[in-house]
Amino acid sequence: MTTIIANNKVSEFVSSIANENLPCWEKFSESRKKAKEILTQLDFPTTRNEYWKYSRVTKIASENYHFKNLSEEKIDLDEVRIPNLETYEIVFINGFISLVNSNLPSSDELEIVAFSDSKSHDYDSFFSKNLDSITNIFSALNTAYFTDGVIIKAKGEFAKPIHIIHYSTGENIISQPRNMFVSTTNSSLTILKSSINNNTNKFFQNSVNEFFLEKNSKLNFYVIQDYKKGMKVMTTNVVNQERDSVFSAYNYTIKGDWIRNNTNVFVNGKNCETNLFGAYQPTGSEHIDNHTIVDHLAAHCESNEHYKGTIADKATGVFNGKVFVRKDSQKINAFQSNNNVLLSDEATMNSKPELEIYADDVKCSHGSTSGQLDDEAVFYLQSRGLSKKSATALLIGAFLGEVVEKIEIPELKEKVLELYGME
Amino acid sequence: MIYINNLHASIGEKEILRGINLEVKAGEVHAIMGPNGSGKSTLSAVLAGNENYIITEGSVDYIGEDLLELSTEERARKGIFLAFQYPIEIPGVSNMNFLRTAINETREAKGEEPMAAKEFLARVKEKSALVELDASLLKRYVNEGFSGGEKKRNEIFQMAMLDPKLAILDETDSGLDIDALKIVSHGVNKLKSKDNATIVITHYQRLLDHIVPDFVHVLYKGRIVKSGGKELALELEEKGYDWIKEEVNA
Repeated sequence: MTTIIANNKVSEFVSSIANENLPCWEKFSESRKKAKEILTQLDFPTTRNEYWKYSRVTKIASENYHFKNLSEEKIDLDEVRIPNLETYEIVFINGFISLVNSNLPSSDELEIVAFSDSKSHDYDSFFSKNLDSITNIFSALNTAYFTDGVIIKAKGEFAKPIHIIHYSTGENIISQPRNMFVSTTNSSLTILKSSINNNTNKFFQNSVNEFFLEKNSKLNFYVIQDYKKGMKVMTTNVVNQERDSVFSAYNYTIKGDWIRNNTNVFVNGKNCETNLFGAYQPTGSEHIDNHTIVDHLAAHCESNEHYKGTIADKATGVFNGKVFVRKDSQKINAFQSNNNVLLSDEATMNSKPELEIYADDVKCSHGSTSGQLDDEAVFYLQSRGLSKKSATALLIGAFLGEVVEKIEIPELKEKVLELYGME
Repeated sequence: MIYINNLHASIGEKEILRGINLEVKAGEVHAIMGPNGSGKSTLSAVLAGNENYIITEGSVDYIGEDLLELSTEERARKGIFLAFQYPIEIPGVSNMNFLRTAINETREAKGEEPMAAKEFLARVKEKSALVELDASLLKRYVNEGFSGGEKKRNEIFQMAMLDPKLAILDETDSGLDIDALKIVSHGVNKLKSKDNATIVITHYQRLLDHIVPDFVHVLYKGRIVKSGGKELALELEEKGYDWIKEEVNA
């Protein structure tokens, strides 16, 4: 018999949050129990681990966090609202659902059930499907100690976006929201996720989103990451696609001290489309990391991935995109590219596009570029009277604009362009 | 308008301009000709403020100011315009957006209000007609996918929009067929007035049939080695540059 000795750091980390009174929902108690067991066997990853090579988690690991439920407080949401765009709003404060701030739809076509709601849901059994809580400590941590979340299930063509707003505040707080989004057969759903943080210091947000696209459904997931100081953010998105479905994720990072986004897509059915777009522009000493996996498990599918970033000052960008094409997944078109512009000598970009192909009749490409702004173009613009600053801004806007242009909602596009200072 | 005195410029270790002297007055058109590698494009780049070149000696006075002390954008805002030999393609930046920014930053630098949208559009319509630039090109990204002729017409269109005091046309005729050459020249001639001046840099005489110069200068090995009237261009066309080289080398 082997004895497992829990790592001091993990046990210490867990013990500081495990004391908190989180509701223990019967329907997830088994998953939680398992995740807690796994936590006793896992260690925080070091940069020797390839998956964490460029993003150090030591500062998160050595901190003591606790939960803070402020869900009854009334908050101002104006800064993240999209002018001229009507949305429903589901607000989380420090990871807890805040009904007083939310504006939920009452429609037969859309079902919203909180995890904390005792009644069972037909998607309960899908909880944690394909989420790597075995080796990924942060996924396990969320499963073991998630604060609350919702299952949103669309049953029709649901045009009005659901705006999930995460509000964070406080010091040494951990927030662990968890959501499931389901688009049932022939339905469509648009989710928009924004964040607000005020007076945060040593705040850690570790969120998990699970997506289930049934046959012939469409799901758009827009994320705007615009954080003030004092937050470290880890997001994990797991997507499961059935046949004929279209999943599109758009991730726009405006600001953030330290962000790590993991998006893993499992394409289980034939004739699917997967689109992953992202833009980032770290400045100062910011650290922005995007890791994606697209796993083609079925034939006749297409995936498009395009991430672009500008890295200024002493900031760091990380991109790692993996595409798997499994043995029997023939007739796959998979495209992936990552382009970066380094704006200073001290800026760093780590870019690693990866393709693993086991089928023989596929069309795949990937590419990565990291360069500088074109001096000739800057001179050309200056020679027409633009200052160096606005010439640079115009060129950066043009560069990042390519992935902002992908947004299908004009009002939202306007807002994102404005946040990037392109308008 | 501009007085260039003993101008020396280098790129890296290599000296390209070795003492240029030239005076251009308002209302005049000067042609600068010369064999390949004589320094023609360097002269235009230096006047526009390209930082790849280092000025080692000499001075340039532009309407009473030390031109060499001004940044590229300050020169542009004070009325210097360079039509590029190879206009740059800028994907993602629309022609219109770029021009509006250029005009409004110039106005802002002069303490003027931004140009009203209506006035801007009226001016675009008028000036694009001057060089027969198709409206669809205006909405496209700057020079991206433009043909050689379209790029050159776009340069003259920008010149018309910005209304410079001193226009420097760097080999604007290169890559143009005869029809495009006529259109471009027509545009340049229309913009000519007693208050502005033009420096036409060209390798061939044919452009000067359309844009008739008051003075012709021959640049060779970084110096102006011969100046004359428009008949000098014809002589060069007929006899080539060899006799000039011989004269200089002798």
